[in-house]
Amino acid sequence: MTDWRRIFSLREAGVYYALLLLLGVLAALAAARGLPLYLSGQNLGNIAYQASLVGIMGVAMTVMLITGAFDLSVASVAALAAAVLVGLAGQIGFVPAAFAALAVAATIGLINGAIVQFVGINAFIVTLGTLTAVRGLVLILTDGRSLMVEQPQVLAQMLAFESTRVPLFWPLLALGAALVVLGLAKRRPFVAVGGAVLGALALVAGAGFNVAAPVVYLAGFTALLWFVLGFTVIGRRLYAVGGNPEAARLSGINVHAYRLGAFVLSSVAAGFAGVLFGCRLGAINPTALQGTELTVIAAAILGGTSLFGGAGSVVKTVVGALLLFTLTNGFNILNLGANYQGLIEGIVVVAAAAIYTLGAERRRARPAASEPTPVEVAA
Amino acid sequence: MVTLRLEGIAKTFPNGTVALSGVDLVLAPGRVHGLLGANGAGKSTLIKILAGALAPTAGTIRRDDAVVRWSSPRGAKAAGVATIYQHIPLVPTLSALENILLDEGGWRRRRADARARIAALVASLGNPFPLDTPVGDLPIGARQMVAITQALASGAEVVVMDEPTASLAGHERARVYETIRRLAAEGKAVLFVSHFIDEIMALTDEVTVLRDGRTVLHAETAGLEPQAIAAAIAGRSVTALERPAVARTPGAPVLELRDVASPGKLAPTSLTLRAGEVLGLAGTLGSGRSELLHAIFGADPAATGAVLLDGAPVGRWPDEAVAAGIALVPEDRARQGYVPLLTLAENIALPRPTGLLLDAEADRVAADAAIARLAIKAPGADALPGELSGGNAQKVVIAKWLAPTTRVLLLDEPTAGIDIGARTDILRLVRSLADDGLPVILVSSEFEELLAICDRLLVLRDGAVIGEADPATSTESDLILMTGGGAPLGAAA
Repeated sequence: MTDWRRIFSLREAGVYYALLLLLGVLAALAAARGLPLYLSGQNLGNIAYQASLVGIMGVAMTVMLITGAFDLSVASVAALAAAVLVGLAGQIGFVPAAFAALAVAATIGLINGAIVQFVGINAFIVTLGTLTAVRGLVLILTDGRSLMVEQPQVLAQMLAFESTRVPLFWPLLALGAALVVLGLAKRRPFVAVGGAVLGALALVAGAGFNVAAPVVYLAGFTALLWFVLGFTVIGRRLYAVGGNPEAARLSGINVHAYRLGAFVLSSVAAGFAGVLFGCRLGAINPTALQGTELTVIAAAILGGTSLFGGAGSVVKTVVGALLLFTLTNGFNILNLGANYQGLIEGIVVVAAAAIYTLGAERRRARPAASEPTPVEVAA
Repeated sequence: MVTLRLEGIAKTFPNGTVALSGVDLVLAPGRVHGLLGANGAGKSTLIKILAGALAPTAGTIRRDDAVVRWSSPRGAKAAGVATIYQHIPLVPTLSALENILLDEGGWRRRRADARARIAALVASLGNPFPLDTPVGDLPIGARQMVAITQALASGAEVVVMDEPTASLAGHERARVYETIRRLAAEGKAVLFVSHFIDEIMALTDEVTVLRDGRTVLHAETAGLEPQAIAAAIAGRSVTALERPAVARTPGAPVLELRDVASPGKLAPTSLTLRAGEVLGLAGTLGSGRSELLHAIFGADPAATGAVLLDGAPVGRWPDEAVAAGIALVPEDRARQGYVPLLTLAENIALPRPTGLLLDAEADRVAADAAIARLAIKAPGADALPGELSGGNAQKVVIAKWLAPTTRVLLLDEPTAGIDIGARTDILRLVRSLADDGLPVILVSSEFEELLAICDRLLVLRDGAVIGEADPATSTESDLILMTGGGAPLGAAA
């Protein structure tokens, strides 16, 4: 039996409504001011491109939060990966340098996870420490100056990796149709509606619709983790580890391994985002991406991920990231005064959290015949 | 000098559970009143009413001659009633002195006169503890003293102690007894709740035994035999299970423990479990029964010794134990048993190594089968375990392990806090699993259950196996006396 009202409730689907509402409002405002069409393929592609790095880190952060841990160090790790890439690419070539950057990132994830799991320090504190320490490492590596890739052909390779345009009209249309069919067949209304939205988006954007490569990387990474979380035993066990670690442990699940894996995944995703960032300009400034970790966490919270673990969706996190960058994009395009941007974004995040929390309380209040607590029965 | 009289106290919970149906109790100055009862008899509810955590649905409380009512812990305190719980709610990061003064008014944090007053009080109790040490650094016995001092500092005339000795070692217990005697000598009225009959015999002036929310025994301790108390606690048999007339013959040895121990919690224990055998562990909370199960399951990192399954050693982590086929149904189903945000089907499939991809269809079929087999009352396999009643949630936790890969089943209090129908279902299931050849270790505070379905019984107390009882010839009273220390060991064997 499918509970339609729950599936389309504000709590479950609010982030989708918010994004659609915001796009509608911005489109109307743009039209009223006589600006070029807001909902153009180019502008939508731009929003997705701007959201891609935060999205990639946010998706991994969602897995992290699902297991009940926390990673503040992602932006520093991304900057370090970018520094390693830019620093090495000239000598050893782009691909080996990119792998070196990912390996460095994975090592930091392993260090984070090992300290949290085996020393038992709170993840917030450990990653606050690595946030600072890794940023310091970036400063040491770059000696406080901007680095850049000097070799033209390596630079060309890097730019190609980051800024190739990928035509998306037909793939998007096909994917939308496939999702509609799948959703109807499996009676998963959300999949069907999502497919219809994707298809409509492709039609709105037009046959020439194309996006930069990072958007495709983000989509692929999200699809992979969506599959792992929803359709594999690993995914179910990740939710169990965050939802009730003691029950998971006593069910024979290696809680340490799953948490450690989440830390490594988070850092590797941050490393990949850093590689993309380094490729964007072929250069790295030691203060790059400072503060981005908070945007990443905000995206996950907008997507309804619980900070207490056990619940969360990578797709909604991506939508949360899109929502944040749509706000930024709207402020720029409509020239609404960048000074208001931070205020509005902050209010949106807190309002979203309030909706999720209040919705959860109402849901909890509903089942009347809940378990008679041991307090009442055992004397 | 205050006398507290409880007259006809009754408590019915909104869900229909009747916890107390008319209990009378007199707490007189200078006397220690012992309160006993099996799990579910209503002791905790009565204590909560005295402490103001629950309001009675009927009955009156008189303080001397005036009728008093209170509906909050603050009200109870104002009436001079202080409750000291088994798990002492103190702030671990504050010093003992500050914990004692926590509910004092005023604005100054350090006051010499308050300190002098508390120091004098502590000295008069005879069990000094350092006033300036953070409570988290004090041994548990000293924390108990902090709680008692806190109660007295707020002017308590009636002191309610809920199993104050359950978590204490022998010499610490002696100190608590000493303090209780001093309190009585000073004219305080003391209600002392315990599972240990020998304590009750040694310490109290009068005894009340509750069963099913009623007073079934009230007498002066001096004229009582321990056996009479045990018989009153046990009462009639509620289990609808009858022991079969013929003894079953267990099969080949399956599980062997060699000197399994856990420092400070469990003395070295060796035993052999045979196919089709139900081994019962009888003991009170803290006797080492759960600790033994956790040590077998690898869930206690400090545990030592060897666990052998079919002669092959089992790894010392839960995932290795599960892979070998050992299953544990833990004591606290909400905290340790299920994941609240996963559906029944997902919870049931959790321990099974089903490869990489989820097979939602197979999980659902398995869950439906388990729901049918265990008669779980649930809206469907998609329900969340928190939406079910306690008995049904417990069945879900058991269903996690009903796979052919399970070779040994460890059950820790599987029937705690659940209704009699579900309890009977679970015990029948355990018996039928054993009859199909599965060896089971069953921990229960409900000794009648152990007597009804176990082939062999071990008695634990203070972290060690202290004897064996024959379930065919023992009575519940025998077990209460053995676990509560009221009879020479082995008397019932």
